[in-house]
Amino acid sequence: MLASRRTKGGIFAAATIAVAALVASALPAHAETGVTSSTIKLGITVPLTGAAAPGYNKIPGAMKAYFDYVNANGGVNGRKIQLVVKDDGYSPATTLSVTNDLILKDKVFALVGTLGTANNEATTRLINSKSVPRLFVNTGFSGFADMKKYPTTFPLFPSYATEAKAMGKYLAENFAGKKVALIYQDDDFGLDAIKGFTTAGTSFVAKIPYSAFSQVDPTTAPKWVTALVAAQADTVIMFGVTSATAVLAGAIYKAGLLGKIQMILGSVGSDGTTLKGLLGPLAPALAGTISASFLPSASDATDEYITLFKSINAQYNAGAVFDNNILTGMNTAMMTVQALRAAGTSPTRASLIKAIETKGSTWASASLSPILYSATSHVGYTGYWFGKLGADGNAVSADGPGKYTLYSTDSGSGPVVKAAATRPAMPAKGLPTN
Amino acid sequence: MKHKSPLQRLALSFVLGALLLFASGHIDELRAYQGAQAAIFAIAIASIVLLTGYSGQISLGHGALMAIGGYASVIAQLHWHLPYPLAFIVGTAIGALAGFILGITAARLRGPYLAGTTLALAVGLPSLANQFKILGGEQGITVDVGTAPTWIGKEFSQYRWFFWVAVTVALAVFWLLRNLLSTRYGRRWRAVRSNPTAAALSGIDVGRAKVLAFTLSSAVAGLAGSLFAMLLGLVAPLVFTLTLSFTLVTGAVLAGVSNLGGSIVGAVVLVAIPELSGSIASRLGGSEKVTSNLPGVITGVLLILTVLFAPNGPKLPHRKR
Repeated sequence: MLASRRTKGGIFAAATIAVAALVASALPAHAETGVTSSTIKLGITVPLTGAAAPGYNKIPGAMKAYFDYVNANGGVNGRKIQLVVKDDGYSPATTLSVTNDLILKDKVFALVGTLGTANNEATTRLINSKSVPRLFVNTGFSGFADMKKYPTTFPLFPSYATEAKAMGKYLAENFAGKKVALIYQDDDFGLDAIKGFTTAGTSFVAKIPYSAFSQVDPTTAPKWVTALVAAQADTVIMFGVTSATAVLAGAIYKAGLLGKIQMILGSVGSDGTTLKGLLGPLAPALAGTISASFLPSASDATDEYITLFKSINAQYNAGAVFDNNILTGMNTAMMTVQALRAAGTSPTRASLIKAIETKGSTWASASLSPILYSATSHVGYTGYWFGKLGADGNAVSADGPGKYTLYSTDSGSGPVVKAAATRPAMPAKGLPTN
Repeated sequence: MKHKSPLQRLALSFVLGALLLFASGHIDELRAYQGAQAAIFAIAIASIVLLTGYSGQISLGHGALMAIGGYASVIAQLHWHLPYPLAFIVGTAIGALAGFILGITAARLRGPYLAGTTLALAVGLPSLANQFKILGGEQGITVDVGTAPTWIGKEFSQYRWFFWVAVTVALAVFWLLRNLLSTRYGRRWRAVRSNPTAAALSGIDVGRAKVLAFTLSSAVAGLAGSLFAMLLGLVAPLVFTLTLSFTLVTGAVLAGVSNLGGSIVGAVVLVAIPELSGSIASRLGGSEKVTSNLPGVITGVLLILTVLFAPNGPKLPHRKR
């Protein structure tokens, strides 16, 4: 029969194509993957497109800007840093496929600032099997500090459990007797926060889970508001990405509940500049909103890091509005430069990991919290301050410019310690000398 | 003209298999990963070709059937502690069961109604994962089947092993399907596709033939899903999206819908497109916005060109009549 004869020929033709495609490439060998005498290649996965992208899509540009600044000032031990950026649309399957590209095709030395809890979990098998360092992941899932499960992964941000515990104490001090509701992203991101709130003993009149991306469904946010009203909540805590936070704020505002329901935002979705942009004419919805942060306020003119990062942003990141995302990106990049410097003049993946474990706690960083890296701990920052969003969208400390009250704790059952934040001085011109 | 016997086909599969597995030693890991992906896509596309090309039923929901197989195999591994080859069989069986139930409905529906029903499955099913704790919610379940058995060799990377597994399974599936299609079942399906009324008048139970085709197609899709879960090390709603279902249909169209062997071409093209667009984008020096949208453009253009100029799939060399 015609069909079957064609098919058999087809298998041959297809096999020829397949084999040709498969043997098409061969690879040259390197001393250490991603490192040459003049360059160090790093990779990042981050949502540049899709529902979760707003705000976070500015992070790679900020990191590149800081790297360019360092490269223009001699680089790291004479090597220029390159950053390969991959869009994963916040989808774990895509994260895995583009991480394959980063590690196997682009052959990066290390990953840095990879964003998302589920996204980082999806690539863990690959990362571990290749012992690729994964620095300063952009997620606060406390599980990533587990050195047995994630031996090459370094969280930097305080964990969501830490954040929830700190927020629990803040609530007990400032919102005692209020009817507090919680909205959270229904994966390890939100569940980690619930763990922290449970430890802190915070009780909620309603807990509302939502699945990632469901915020794009126009019925989602009105459902949240209905649930808040039904529970007679007067305070709502939001542990979601920025785009989800924006639709919540918009829905509360449209329902005429501004001032009746106080919003308190987890650090993930609290970038006011991005929120304002997403809300457009509904931006007044943010009035009075409180947010948690571990970096200083992006509008704090007295902060030396903010001043420096703003000038780098102006020179190397044309046109980008300075906000928490830029601040986060540059801070991560600055930590990365110190890690690369500490890894030695001929850095290896192993020496990079060792450098962070042995010296990471001493490095300069914009954060108001100390860093806890050691040979037995991959925990980074530990503390948060709380402030109201100002007119420009950035959170402002109630203690005044340059002064912050930090709530520090661990991801487990340790106490929450409240203290005025202190921080070592920045290295000259923000160029690490470690 | 003469058919190849099942044995001749088996020999052909062995030669092809040996060739590909030999090639796997000479390619880097990324190519091994892509090769495994292509083999898995080829199986999934074959399941659509079987359904649409041979029994004349349409499905826009094969991504969901892959999800059923994938989740079933992962749960079989993690909760029933089955070794993964057995878990693949579980995935295949559960896929078949789902296909049987769906097939009973499908046999009563035609054209756009069937397309709509299967589309609804693709849209709705993944969100089920958020309803039951065992399914791991939004972020899904991770699974690691490990690397090759030690007797194969120590320096055997995981992706190379996946390539071996996927290619071996794919060849076995193609061999089975090819043989099946030249039996009376294959002839019945073709008769049903060409003219259901004439088929019924010839004594063929049209409904039964359709349900059987749907069941078999779903079993194959379930197997592809199980392999996909192995390759990614992950099952999650976001793995088995509507996009995946549409991608598979695209692959089937590129393959020439009634061309089983074309599935391989379709799969290789699907895997090659992101690669190709990546190199085009880097050559053009375009922004990330261009890079991330280019694969869609290329797929779309290819699809239109295929439908316009080669509606029966790529021109393949074949002997004179």
